[in-house]
Amino acid sequence: MATVTLTNVAKRFGAFEVVHGANIDIADGEFVVFVGPSGCGKSTLLRMIAGLEDISGGEIAIGGKVVNDVEPADRGIAMVFQSYALYPHMSVEQNLSFGLRMTGNPKADTERRVKRAAEILRISELMDRRPKKLSGGQRQRVAIGRAIVREPQVFLFDEPLSNLDAELRVQMRVEISRLHKELGATMVYVTHDQTEAMTLADRIVVLRGGHVEQIGRPLDLYDNPDNIFVAGFVGSPKMNFIKAHIVGRDAKGVVVELAGEEKTRFTQPLKVAAPEPGSKVIVGVRPEHFGSAGEGAADLTAAIDVVEHLGGTSFLYARTSHGEDVVIQRDAAKVPETSEVTVSIRKSYLFDEKGLRLR
Amino acid sequence: MRNRNATAYRFLTPYLLIFAIFWVWPIISSFLISFQATRTVPWRFAPGFNWGRLIGDPAFFNALKNTLLILVIQVPVMIALAMVMAVLLNSPLLRARGLYRFAFFAPVVVGEVAYSAVFRLMFSLDFGIVNKLLNSIGLPKVDWFSNVTPAMALIMIAVTWRWAGYNAIILLAGMQSIPEDVYEAATLDRVSKLKQFFHITLPLLKPVIVFCAVLSIIGTMQLFTEPFLITERGGPGGGTETLGLLLYRQGFRSLNFGYASAVAYTMAGLAIAITLVQLWLTREPK
Repeated sequence: MATVTLTNVAKRFGAFEVVHGANIDIADGEFVVFVGPSGCGKSTLLRMIAGLEDISGGEIAIGGKVVNDVEPADRGIAMVFQSYALYPHMSVEQNLSFGLRMTGNPKADTERRVKRAAEILRISELMDRRPKKLSGGQRQRVAIGRAIVREPQVFLFDEPLSNLDAELRVQMRVEISRLHKELGATMVYVTHDQTEAMTLADRIVVLRGGHVEQIGRPLDLYDNPDNIFVAGFVGSPKMNFIKAHIVGRDAKGVVVELAGEEKTRFTQPLKVAAPEPGSKVIVGVRPEHFGSAGEGAADLTAAIDVVEHLGGTSFLYARTSHGEDVVIQRDAAKVPETSEVTVSIRKSYLFDEKGLRLR
Repeated sequence: MRNRNATAYRFLTPYLLIFAIFWVWPIISSFLISFQATRTVPWRFAPGFNWGRLIGDPAFFNALKNTLLILVIQVPVMIALAMVMAVLLNSPLLRARGLYRFAFFAPVVVGEVAYSAVFRLMFSLDFGIVNKLLNSIGLPKVDWFSNVTPAMALIMIAVTWRWAGYNAIILLAGMQSIPEDVYEAATLDRVSKLKQFFHITLPLLKPVIVFCAVLSIIGTMQLFTEPFLITERGGPGGGTETLGLLLYRQGFRSLNFGYASAVAYTMAGLAIAITLVQLWLTREPK
């Protein structure tokens, strides 16, 4: 087991910089998920930790030892690829043992490790099959098994579930979580799926455009985002963003009025200096933070476009009189029959025009 | 449904007629000719005449021996060379990749007569650059055209020069279809580049290698241009005569079509047999 420390790690392709000085500390045995939209540099960052990409600046240390110039095989890591990268011409058993056999590992030890990995992943009955005879989930298990037999200090996962169907993805997510508990190894996991990140991670690193936007525990990111990007990225359906402006200040904080909604005024607690009255801001409200009319600081009326019934809860896709699209979460029993809904804002977040959180 | 099929076949009739007349019938007809004595007019049906001669004809066995010798030596050497070329072409270190790819492929598009003339010049006893090079490093001149062994070597060199690049391009395409992350996984598994080549690249390229081998076997069984033009009609003294050349000699010089046809069908049969053995030996385990 080992820590992973990234200090000012940068990656440039020619003049184009894709990772801008990332600083990330990963503790021993921690499960950290890099999450962000396509092209945010999360896979590049993972490949730099693996040693499959050179780093253009900064320092990567694994287990306290700087590995910038250490060969990938000597870094004590194992990686699970998005496409599984299984050897198509080898059986499952050969896939698992290939690396050990090629490096002259004692036969008995190789057999022991392969057997253990197969037992952990419950693939013992598949050992003679070739990858093309396996289902997607089974291939993924073999790919993980190949990482386990290396007995690495750090496991790296590069979007390992993105080729699986929705049901299998949930199942494998649970398996990976179980594996982390069982092995207790440090794991770094890349995904663009915020649900995977929220459910798997001890800590999440949110990336955008090669910058680390925020690092924190899943619920911290959800409850306390640093900026509008993190607020929007974490949570499903995403947070609603409604244009607003400052109208004044009172004892508790700053008074905000939603754009075009003169009646919808409320006080937002604020520790920092309040923006000038008239300043434009953005109010963020999670779908579940809309309450029944009169329950919160201010009411808002919106015309319902579409209702999605998920069983216990429903989502109302609605539009305010000012033309802002909002998603409202409701108990299925409380979905109105009318074409309009009036809700209260029970909890909200305030962002400045640049998208930085005001708190 | 039956009606619809009948309509479809009616539409296909013109094509099927042309196909039968110009493709199926010549195959059957030429095979039937091999059962006829064609040395005198009128031709007469004599099943043992050509096939019986084939079994006891020293010229046929000489041509067969030469063809198989070229096949056994030249095809493996050429495919090994093509593999080396493909690996070099696939190297990320290589610059001007397109230029090399063109250069390797160019021999295929050069006219056969032109390339044969150049080879004759290059290997000429007194003026050829090859003998001059041999001399310059202290080796004696080789009379490439008057002795059987050097002449056979020359044929093999020429065929290899002409087709190695072509095969290299096919192998390169196969190599580029192997996903990069398989090699990355092997790198993380501490598998050396050499072992990656033997344990990943070669096994995954097997279908492509078999394809190249089958094409080369068929090509070599029909080998004609090089012994005809470079070593002047299978010279010296029939030392480089191949089945293709024997076929030509019988069919076009002696106008003995029956025997030529028997030789042609023997060539085709051998090519099919060798290819089937090759496919069986390299079949995928279930």
